[in-house]
Amino acid sequence: MSSPLSRLAWNFRHNPKRELWFAWWMMDIFYQLYDVLFFFVTRVQPPASPAWSTPMVLQWFDTRHYGILAGFGVVFLISGLCAPMNALLAYSMRRMSVSRVFGYSYLIMYSLSAIPGMLVMAIAMTVGALRPDRNPEMIHWLFDFAFLSFSGTMGVFMIGSLVWLVAILIDKNGVFPKWFGYLGLCNALTEVVVAPAWIFQRGVFAWNGAIAWWINMVVFVTYTVCFIVLLRKMIEREDFGDGVLPDLPPKVERSQPDSVGAMR
Amino acid sequence: MKRTDGELILFWCLPAIAIIWVSAFFLFPGFLHPMSPTMSADAVAAFYRDETARIRYSMILFNWFGVGLIPTVILLAMQVRRMAHRTPILSYSLISCAGGPPCLFLIANLFWLLGSFRPERAPELTQLLNDLAWVTFTVLVPFLIAQCVLLALAIYWDHQEQPVFKMWVAHFNILVAVALAPAAFTALTFTGPLAWDGLLSFWVKNIAIFVWIVVMGIVLGQTIRQQRAEEPVAA
Repeated sequence: MSSPLSRLAWNFRHNPKRELWFAWWMMDIFYQLYDVLFFFVTRVQPPASPAWSTPMVLQWFDTRHYGILAGFGVVFLISGLCAPMNALLAYSMRRMSVSRVFGYSYLIMYSLSAIPGMLVMAIAMTVGALRPDRNPEMIHWLFDFAFLSFSGTMGVFMIGSLVWLVAILIDKNGVFPKWFGYLGLCNALTEVVVAPAWIFQRGVFAWNGAIAWWINMVVFVTYTVCFIVLLRKMIEREDFGDGVLPDLPPKVERSQPDSVGAMR
Repeated sequence: MKRTDGELILFWCLPAIAIIWVSAFFLFPGFLHPMSPTMSADAVAAFYRDETARIRYSMILFNWFGVGLIPTVILLAMQVRRMAHRTPILSYSLISCAGGPPCLFLIANLFWLLGSFRPERAPELTQLLNDLAWVTFTVLVPFLIAQCVLLALAIYWDHQEQPVFKMWVAHFNILVAVALAPAAFTALTFTGPLAWDGLLSFWVKNIAIFVWIVVMGIVLGQTIRQQRAEEPVAA
C-alpha cells in the first residue's frame, strides 16, 4: 500500500511534527552542503596562509577560479537554509522554562551572523576571483577581506552561544542535557581565541593556525554534531499526538493554558 | 470604536516606500541600462565622474528606505502565526530572513556611495568598488528565495477551512523563488543572461522582486482587512 515515497509525502503533509522535522532536515542539509561547498567545491577551506606573498595568492585564486565562482553561486542560492535552522534552535529555547527573550535574541543574532560570517566572505572571494587581471594588490586585499570576515566575525557567534548556554543551564524542562551547555562554553571560547587572527600573520594564532583554525574547527564540529543529534532527540520526545491543533480557530484573542503557551 | 494598533500604518508604508524605491531605481544612472561587467576600469571611473550626483542622490534614497521591506515581512510572519501549524517554526524562519536582504542591499549601497565619494581616485579602485557593489546587489537573493519558499510551505501546511492565504499565493511564491535563483550564479559570466546586466540576473530578478512586492502587498492588505473585520483588534 505505501511505498517509501508515498509515506514521505503523507508525512510531509500530515505528520504532526512536520514543521520540526522540516527545520531539522534543512539544518542537516545545510551543514552537509556547507562542508562540500567550502572544502571540496570552492576549496577555500582549510584556509590559505595569511603569510603568503601576493604571487602565491594570485596562484591560489587561479587554481580555484571556477570552483569559487560556481561554489559560492550555490552558497548564495542556499544560504536561506539558515533560517529554519535558526528557527529550530530558537524553538528549543521556547520549550525551556526561560524567558522568550532568549529564543528571540538567539534568532536575531544567528540570523545576523550569516552575513559577515559567511556571505560577505563569499562576496569578497567571488570578486577576488572575478577578474584575474585586476591589480594583484587588490586581489590580495580581497583575500584578506574574505578570510578575516570569515574567521574574524566573532561576537555574534560568541554571544549567541552564551545565550543558548545560559538558557540550557537554567532550564527546568530538561530540553538539553547540562553537559551540552558547557560544550557551548567551549564553542564561545573558540571565538575568543580567534581574535588574534586580526593581529598575527603566522603561527598558531594566525587565521590558518593550529589554535585559531584547527582546534576551533574540532570544537565547532563536535558542538554542531552534538546539537544536531540533541535537537533530533528533542523532536522525537515532543508529544503532539495527532489531535486538534493547539489553538484553532484563532478567531478571538485567546488566553491559552501554559502548556500550550510553551509550544506556541 | 477600534483601537489603533498601528498595523495599518505599517502596511500603508509599503506602497509609499515602493514608490520611493522605484523612483530611486530610475534615478540611479546605472540601472535602466544596467552597467555591463565588461566595462573597462577607465569606463567605470568615467561613469562615476560623470554621473556623481545622480549616483549619490539615488543611493542616499535607497540607504534611507531600503530597510522598508522589513515591516512587510514581519506582517507576513504575523499572518503565518495565524495558520494551522503546531509550532512557530515557520514564523520564526520568516523573522530570521527579514533582515537579510536589506542588510545585503545596504552593503552594496555603501560600495556604490563609496565609489561616488572620490570619483577622481585611481580607476582600478573605482572598478573594485563597482564590482563589489554589483556582485553584492545581484547575489542578495538567498533570503528572498528562502522567504518565498517558507511562505509557500506555510500556506501548503495551513490545513483549515478558511486558510489564511489562498493556495495560488503559495504557487506564486515558488515561481518568484525560481525566478530569483539564477542571479546567485551571476559571477560565472560577463555576458549573456547570467551576467549581472543580463536578462536573468538583472531583469528577471528585479522584476520578480517588484511583482512580489505588488502582489504580496495586495494579498496582505486584503487579508489584514478581512482579519480586522472578523476579530477585535488585539490590545
